[in-house]
Amino acid sequence: MPTKRTTAAAAAPATPKSLSSGPKTLTANSSVYEIAHHVWQQYLATTPQRTMLLDAFMAFLVLVGGTQFFYCVVAGNYPFNAFLSGFCAAVGQFVLTASLRMQTSSVSKGKAKDQVVGDGSVSHERAFADYIFGSLILHFFCINFIN
Amino acid sequence: MQLWHSVLQLSLLVFTAAPTAAASAWGFADATVSVHTKGAGVGAGFKETIPDNKALSKPVSLGSTDTLKVSLTARDGSSATRAHQVFLFLQDPETGLDISYPFNVKDNGKSKVELTQKDLPVQFLSVSEPLDARFLIGSFGSSEAYNGAAFKLAVTRNPDHPVPTVEVSRYGKLPEIHHIFKDGPSSPPIVITLTFVAMVLAALPILAGVWITLGANVCHLPKAFKSSPISHAVFLGSLLSIEGIFFLYYKSWTLFQILPAVAAVGTVAFISGSRALGEVQGRRLDGSR
Amino acid sequence: MRWSLSLLLFGFLAVVHALSSSGNRLLVVLEDAAEKDSFSKFWSDLEARGYDLVFESPKSDKLSLFEHGEKAYDHVLLLPPRSKGFGPSLSPKNIIEFMNKDGNVLLALSGKSTTPSAVSSLLLELDFHLSSDRSSIVVDHFNYDTLSATEKHDVLLLQQPGQLRQDTKSFFGGSGVLAFPRASPHTLGGSNPLLTPILRAPTTAYSYNPKEDAASVEDVVATGSQLAVVSAMQARNSARFTLLGSVESLQDAWFDATIKAPGDGKETETANREFAKQLTAWTFKETGVLKVGKIEHHLAQDGDLASVELNPKIYRIKNETVFSIEVSEYNYDQYVPFEVPENDALQLEFTMLSPFHRLDLQPSGKTENSTIYSAKFTVPDQHGIFSFRVNYKRPFLTNIEEKHEVTVRHYAHNEYPRSWKITGGWVWIAGLWSVVGGFLAFVVVWLYSAPTSAAPTTKKTQ
Repeated sequence: MPTKRTTAAAAAPATPKSLSSGPKTLTANSSVYEIAHHVWQQYLATTPQRTMLLDAFMAFLVLVGGTQFFYCVVAGNYPFNAFLSGFCAAVGQFVLTASLRMQTSSVSKGKAKDQVVGDGSVSHERAFADYIFGSLILHFFCINFIN
Repeated sequence: MQLWHSVLQLSLLVFTAAPTAAASAWGFADATVSVHTKGAGVGAGFKETIPDNKALSKPVSLGSTDTLKVSLTARDGSSATRAHQVFLFLQDPETGLDISYPFNVKDNGKSKVELTQKDLPVQFLSVSEPLDARFLIGSFGSSEAYNGAAFKLAVTRNPDHPVPTVEVSRYGKLPEIHHIFKDGPSSPPIVITLTFVAMVLAALPILAGVWITLGANVCHLPKAFKSSPISHAVFLGSLLSIEGIFFLYYKSWTLFQILPAVAAVGTVAFISGSRALGEVQGRRLDGSR
Repeated sequence: MRWSLSLLLFGFLAVVHALSSSGNRLLVVLEDAAEKDSFSKFWSDLEARGYDLVFESPKSDKLSLFEHGEKAYDHVLLLPPRSKGFGPSLSPKNIIEFMNKDGNVLLALSGKSTTPSAVSSLLLELDFHLSSDRSSIVVDHFNYDTLSATEKHDVLLLQQPGQLRQDTKSFFGGSGVLAFPRASPHTLGGSNPLLTPILRAPTTAYSYNPKEDAASVEDVVATGSQLAVVSAMQARNSARFTLLGSVESLQDAWFDATIKAPGDGKETETANREFAKQLTAWTFKETGVLKVGKIEHHLAQDGDLASVELNPKIYRIKNETVFSIEVSEYNYDQYVPFEVPENDALQLEFTMLSPFHRLDLQPSGKTENSTIYSAKFTVPDQHGIFSFRVNYKRPFLTNIEEKHEVTVRHYAHNEYPRSWKITGGWVWIAGLWSVVGGFLAFVVVWLYSAPTSAAPTTKKTQ
């Protein structure tokens, strides 16, 4: 799940104080497990709860999509259109949710008080409305295609 | 009258069962049959004498390089005479196909014929049963003609050489053809399918569990409904009904049934959604989100 | 007045009662008018069956097979010419042209005289081969008439022919014995399926030229059953040409002559008269003429057929389809239901370039004068332009060639089974709907979830 990691990493430098108050720092020769553990702790410590809910939904989509793909590998792809629409619904929903996360996790920057943020990004509510619109269109296409 | 039903039957019955009793009947004497293999020395090979007016019991075999020589003396009654028809008659007993080879006849009735496989029609080269060889001896006048079995001729071939065949087109019934259909795609065993369905559906409760662990709640619902009840209710309702319409589309509706419905509900959702989200923004801005 | 009218009508019916299926104008080409009387029974038999006989000499100036570009006669009976040929109006080209216009020809030869080279070249064009001297006759020292040809053995006796093959109809059958005096034999070209022998010489027969005074035959072209005495050719347009080796067999003298075979055969009457009737009836299309009636194809349906669309232009793949064809056979004076010979089958092909199905049509019903043959089959799983084809070409029967094109289409998008009917798709259907459900839940959570009090982010933003 690269999106999660990069956004978590991107969020980390934006809050320099949390680094010092967070868990122990990494050294150059940390083991892989240590690095992973550190990243996970960092994620738990710095991610807003709302974003974590969103991440949980994305994890759910990965689980659903992965199960469908695994079923296709195990049991064959007949009926193929059903596979495509079922799998693409999960993947598409994941992509849409990921973009929603990118647009709303910037809450910690502290600039969100303006309705339209100065650097050209949109407000959370506008992003959410777009997300709903996109999702409905995705559902329509997938339902149409699954026959 | 009965004898007329089959020419073959006639010739078989009449002329073998009642041989030359009367003086005015054709027959033969001094008949010999011999097979010379090309390259073999003189005197080698098969040579047999056919008893007068009788058939040779042994079969004669003719190889691909052999020459069959038959000689006889045609006799009318007991005197050797020249006959108009002195034929070696070959017939495939299975198909009834026949061919005759005329003898070379001298004035004193002595007759000779030579035959190789090249002289035979190609149909005779692939027969399984030996051919029936007969002598046909007859002439004008009142003398009864002779038609009697002479020997069996087996045509032997080198199995390495292909047997020539003749393709003759004749109108007739053709073999039936039934189209072979492609196999339809088949579903995997229902057990596997149901297992995976359970796995997919289990993801929903897992999601709910994770959310509850993370502290998800709907505590703001009363608050939101207090500040702008209509827009929130309508917004949520319209989202639900759009998905409901999609479900009906999946079940039975057609595209042209859902399009107006979705357009109407979508407009409602747009208007109510902008109000509701405005309220949400208000909550965010006052820091309660 | 009324009496005379009904009398006239009656007379008309009497003439019509037996009539060829393709007209009754018969031209008889006869060179020697004096010979005409020796065939009187033959002529009267033909006239009794409704033919208008027109006798012409081949030398006559007004003789022409065509009038205003159309054939002037329906059938032609050619008796052997005395002179070098039939003359300009009956050249091989004209006779072929006459057959191309569906005219039928019966040509009789005689072993008495040399066959003219013009006739021989006509026969060669149709793949009948005469011996090169064109004056050979068939001799058989085993099957000759001992009463009339004691010395010369040139009156050939033959059983009336049975079936040509196991799967053909016998139009010339019977149990009588035929006499063929001085028959001119011919052989048939090997590869021509249009040619069929009607009567072959016995296996012991051979041909020789009586003018060559050889004491014994040492060089024969063909012997035994390779020699044919009567043969027929039916062209692709079903025009018929029959070659009869012995014109004398049609004479009054041989119609009911008494004959005796060598050996201990009994004296019997010839069946020539019956055979002449069978031969002319077949040649002039009184027998063996097939007619196709209604052709129907439609979707197979149980019970009520009224709602089924007949002969639709389009079928879908894997449709169950029924095809039926009505066939009648002309038998002397009327159409009767056609029965397929025992080992034969009327076959339907469903073809696109090559047949995908070739099925035997089974009799499924009968009308007053036709049999309905039908077959039921599943349209192949291949879309394209197909055709129902019935191509029935058999010896002695006129050709049936029917071709009806239809389009075979694929499934329309709403003809596939719905997704929930395919168990294999259930997983993905569940996946799709759980995504939708998860989405709805997420929307609610996103909109109304209050942050937990312990959330660190809210503190930090303030």
